[in-house]
Amino acid sequence: MIKSLEVGKVFNMNRPNQFIALNGISVEIPAQRLTVLKGPSGSGKTTLLSILGCMARPTSGRVMLKEEEITSLPERFLAEIRRQTYGFIFQQFNLIRGITAIENIMLPAYPTGEKRTVLKKRAAGLLEIFGLENKAEASIEWLSGGETQRVAIARALMNDPAIIIADEPTAHLDTKLSQEFMDIMQKLKAEGRTLIIASHDPVVYGSAFVDKVIEMRDGAITDSGAKA
Amino acid sequence: MKQIEAQRNILDFTLSSLFRRKGKNTALVLVYTLIVFLLASVMFFTHAIRNEAALTLKDAPEMVVQKLMAGRQDLMPLEYLEKIRAVRGVSSVKGRLWGYYFDPYFGVNYTLMVPGNEQIKPGTIVTGEGISKNRAVEQGDFQAFRAYNNNTLLFQITRVLSSESALLTSDLILMSEQDFRSIFGMPRTHVTDIVLTVKNPRELGTIANKIVQLLPDTRPIMRDEILRTYDSVFNWRGGLLIVILSVSVFCFVIFAWDKASGLGAEERREIGILKAIGWETSDIILMKFWEGVVVSLSAFLLGILLAYAHIFFFSSLLFGPVMKGWSVLYPEFRLVPFIDAYQISTLFFLTVLPYTVATIIPSWRAATIDPDLIMRS
Ligand SMILES: Nc1ncnc2c1ncn2[C@@H]1O[C@H](COP(=O)(O)OP(=O)(O)O)[C@@H](O)[C@H]1O
Ligand SMILES: [Mg+2]
Repeated sequence: MIKSLEVGKVFNMNRPNQFIALNGISVEIPAQRLTVLKGPSGSGKTTLLSILGCMARPTSGRVMLKEEEITSLPERFLAEIRRQTYGFIFQQFNLIRGITAIENIMLPAYPTGEKRTVLKKRAAGLLEIFGLENKAEASIEWLSGGETQRVAIARALMNDPAIIIADEPTAHLDTKLSQEFMDIMQKLKAEGRTLIIASHDPVVYGSAFVDKVIEMRDGAITDSGAKA
Repeated sequence: MKQIEAQRNILDFTLSSLFRRKGKNTALVLVYTLIVFLLASVMFFTHAIRNEAALTLKDAPEMVVQKLMAGRQDLMPLEYLEKIRAVRGVSSVKGRLWGYYFDPYFGVNYTLMVPGNEQIKPGTIVTGEGISKNRAVEQGDFQAFRAYNNNTLLFQITRVLSSESALLTSDLILMSEQDFRSIFGMPRTHVTDIVLTVKNPRELGTIANKIVQLLPDTRPIMRDEILRTYDSVFNWRGGLLIVILSVSVFCFVIFAWDKASGLGAEERREIGILKAIGWETSDIILMKFWEGVVVSLSAFLLGILLAYAHIFFFSSLLFGPVMKGWSVLYPEFRLVPFIDAYQISTLFFLTVLPYTVATIIPSWRAATIDPDLIMRS
């Protein structure tokens, strides 16, 4: 589904604080499987995720999405890919404060130009799936940790993306909520979505339905083998 | 269709965004309304004054001749009329009857006049709007006047003048010659002054000279001179108002600049999130554009309404000090609403446009940053 070829990322290029965050990364993310990027903090997981997720461009190397080279696409197309093909779940969830849960969920679909009533219906459907139907009009600040997490997942699913990207999704959750999160991921995988999760949480990379664990350290891959 | 729907969605989000930063945005609208109010007040004021003046002068006679006595205006004997008519180059001569009547009850001056172009039935009068409002009288009512000899004369109002210029007619009362003379006790042999027209306007100066030579105790006043007086008055006041205007524009630029440089951390974060979840740079700029439009347009409309009320209903209260002295020219001063598209569009370009640009620029910068920054926040 997604392939990176010798991808490198250098921050602050040609400056005294130049930092090589990724060094010739070649990975393959299989379609409709759950892949985990595992590694200690600072190993480059987030950097790699944002490159695979069309949020940042590599300094060198190429990224292919469904056999199509996306590295050199203009920003406008990258935004469209992010909107249509990807659903993102951020470490801090990054929901927008002050507006309702349902509006947060609808946000990724606004630029698609679908009718608001249609969007509202779809968002309400997602809320129902996650057992949040009575929280639709609640402001984000009033939600519990678990509810916030589910709203964030619902938002990622709003445009029915083929690929879900999650960065350390369980970092701020207790074991029970982490387990719940992984259960949802399992369902999404069963629906035929491709999942990429960066995490150093054993609840995540130790899950039975993880298909592939890519281990990273200091911006390089130490193990890209399929999980036994 | 999709484009329009997307615009609507984004506009919807903009509105709820604005609403959630209620405090900040209310303050913004208020400051902004104040500035628009000041600008619009100055603009409405100067334009209305100019309009009044233009109307006043439009029908002004080419030349007025007054008789002088000891350097003061005196009644004009009718035989002067004939003498002036005989001057070569003069095409028409008319005597005018007009004067001021002090109403002790309301403490105001009215201008009483016998119209040259219309016959008014003795015993009736036509009044200006100001008087009818002031005295709370209308068509059909009776009005008492105290004559020079302490007689009380009663007149019926047959018509109230609706006017395009308050200055011209607000304090005006039209009556018949007979009634005019009985109120003031003015002899039949005299008029207040003379207006005349000439065959060739370029000879105006020569004719004025001839009149003074022929009748040394008269003073011809030409329309050009009146114009010049008006002009200097306007320039002086206009200059003052321009100072106010430029100060407000200056304040506005600072305000807009401040707004431009002050995109809050929370706003930047939100822009990052929106970009990350698939909004394009243009969508975000669109959102900020709507935000600017909503804030500036509501402030614009509010400011204009307030300024309109200020200038035309509250007699330019704030400009009191600048206004002083007008009463010398006009006993009662109330501007007639006068606004044109040109003023409104000038204001629009002075305020809504720079503000909207000022809101877009910083978000444009924020919108072009890489969305991956949000992954680390
Ligand atoms: N914008 C940046 N400028 C400079 N260094 C950065 C920047 N972003 C990340 N880094 C560095 O790159 C390294 C990898 O970061 P990251 O991909 O976030 O690792 P991980 O997600 O595995 O913790 C870290 O050492 C981090 O400090
Ligand atoms: Mg990270």
